[in-house]
Amino acid sequence: MEQYSILGRVGEGAHGIVFKAKHIETGETVALKKVALRRLEDGIPNQALREIKALQEIEDNQHVVKLKDVFPHGTGFVLVFEFMLSDLSEVIRNSERPLTPAQVKGYMMMLLKGVAFLHHNNIMHRDLKPANLLIGSSGHLKIADFGLARLFSERGDRLYSHQVATRWYRAPELLYGARKYDEGVDLWAVGCIFGELLNSSPLFPGENDIEQLCCVLRVLGTPTQESWPEIVELPDYNKITFKENPPIPLEEIVPDTCPQAVHLLYKFLVYPSRQRCSARQALLHPYFFSSPLPAHHSELPIPQRGGRPPRQRLQAPPTDFSVDLPLQNSVVDPVLLRGHASCL
Amino acid sequence: MFHNSSQRKHWTFNSEDELEQCRCDANQKFRKKTVESGKPVVSDSLILERHEEDVLFRHYERRLMDFCNAFKPVMPKSVVGTAIMYFRRFYLNNSIMEYHPRIIMLTCAYLSCKVDEFNVSSSQFGGNLLQETPAGQERVLEQILEYELLLIQQLNFHLVVHNPYRPMEGLLIDIKTRYPTLENPETLRKNADDFLTQATMTDAGLLFTPSQIALTAILNSATRAGLSIESYLTECLGLKDKETLSKTYESMRRMKNLLKRYGLPKSDEVNVYKQKLERIHVEFGTSSNNKRKRGYEEDGHVSKEPRLTEEYFTDEDLL
Repeated sequence: MEQYSILGRVGEGAHGIVFKAKHIETGETVALKKVALRRLEDGIPNQALREIKALQEIEDNQHVVKLKDVFPHGTGFVLVFEFMLSDLSEVIRNSERPLTPAQVKGYMMMLLKGVAFLHHNNIMHRDLKPANLLIGSSGHLKIADFGLARLFSERGDRLYSHQVATRWYRAPELLYGARKYDEGVDLWAVGCIFGELLNSSPLFPGENDIEQLCCVLRVLGTPTQESWPEIVELPDYNKITFKENPPIPLEEIVPDTCPQAVHLLYKFLVYPSRQRCSARQALLHPYFFSSPLPAHHSELPIPQRGGRPPRQRLQAPPTDFSVDLPLQNSVVDPVLLRGHASCL
Repeated sequence: MFHNSSQRKHWTFNSEDELEQCRCDANQKFRKKTVESGKPVVSDSLILERHEEDVLFRHYERRLMDFCNAFKPVMPKSVVGTAIMYFRRFYLNNSIMEYHPRIIMLTCAYLSCKVDEFNVSSSQFGGNLLQETPAGQERVLEQILEYELLLIQQLNFHLVVHNPYRPMEGLLIDIKTRYPTLENPETLRKNADDFLTQATMTDAGLLFTPSQIALTAILNSATRAGLSIESYLTECLGLKDKETLSKTYESMRRMKNLLKRYGLPKSDEVNVYKQKLERIHVEFGTSSNNKRKRGYEEDGHVSKEPRLTEEYFTDEDLL
């Protein structure tokens, strides 16, 4: 603890207070998450253990928050993370105008890269939502809060809790009480986040678990054994029935959105988990390779933490490079360099 | 993945000598502490020698294994493997004279259940302490929670343990699909399983990778059944060049030696050293760390004492 000087309080996490601090030796700004152990019936909370477990065993990735250190302090311990300025929920809430299509694409690309990395490492996050996607001062998005993360195995013989994920982002199989599920729950959440970025408001804002299911069913249509064969095996199937209704085309749910975005959104928001597009595959979708191209992280808004007015980066889009311009416009004429470089 | 794991980076050692050195250092560290404590040292013979510590260590490790195997609901093998690995890692740098293995072993089991997502409540866990009265169970649980933080610190917060059970499944599947020469690979399972169980009670997990252990288990089982599957190594696992192959055989040989040398401690020895250990804990148990409980009674665990309050991470830290 002596290695850090505390700069301020950032917020309250699931298992303790988060402080902003400076590592004295390197001058680096970090976030300290304190896990206190007092008055806890079962000792060290599972959430803290999961977070350490998940983050300690993976290599660095640009789009996953880095656990820099863990050390004991008092009657608990402290997790040291790189400090992140803000999170995606604040970006969505605070941006003065809706995010541009290029910006949405930029965020989606970073999110999918992070998710692809986690799934490749057999980690399901289980609680993806805008508030857990942190934004650094350079505009980078990083997945955080691994309190619900689990290592999954292909053998599929373990039962998991269905009480995971924040309601609005919870996959339909979880809403039906599934105890056996897979990384598809993260891909559903990715779809919800995608929709929220496009609309600047949540896609399925259910007030309670039943209403949550209503929200999803209203848009995707009441599931049938044809559209979702596995549904009959889910614990809460038959406990509740809904009035039948046909699906609403997603074009109407996310209006004014380019067809490719809608096409990709369809790939995430499907009932059978196995049919959801993997993060790795999604990154190859034409959506990411068509104009407007994904915004560079420096072109993304970086709101300040604590609800201060957002500081929109006033940066003109780069004009000297464009895929539509003739190539010679972008290339430096060698004649101009001749005087400076002997090899020419 | 094992390759990125903290196990490979921090808990895989080069040689048995290196491990023994760590344990000797831990023993020395405790000796020094008793001297520095300024207590009238009754005599140096009170302190356990390294080999005496080792006898007791194996005794408590066995008890930990028995506790896990009798656990209800049935504890998955990986949870048992993780618990024992925690126990071994803990006493690599700590002497049993400093922290009593009776409580550390239970703490290892408790933490392992949580880390491996074998979700049992603390009362369910306490219910498995069969010799205890309900009040006694309560007391032990409280101690477990008290030692949990110490344990996780001594493990350097490295919680994920890679056990050889999954690699063994993988190898069996691989043999079934790519090595038809062997007719009924499932017959190898029983002996290979026994090998893995024995291996957990040795330093194998601190010296070799899980897949090496699993492979040795399978090859050993084949040899015992009078089958030769060495061509599996060259043909399917691509261990073609002589050097890699001889290295593999060398580590297999070392591993088998580890297992061969293992013996359960003799009960008369255990009883003598146990008395010594109890005495040490009465004499010095509190000097090393005043947070810890005093008054170990023979197999009756520790008397209750309120947890000491300590500094907290509060807003005052901001100042």
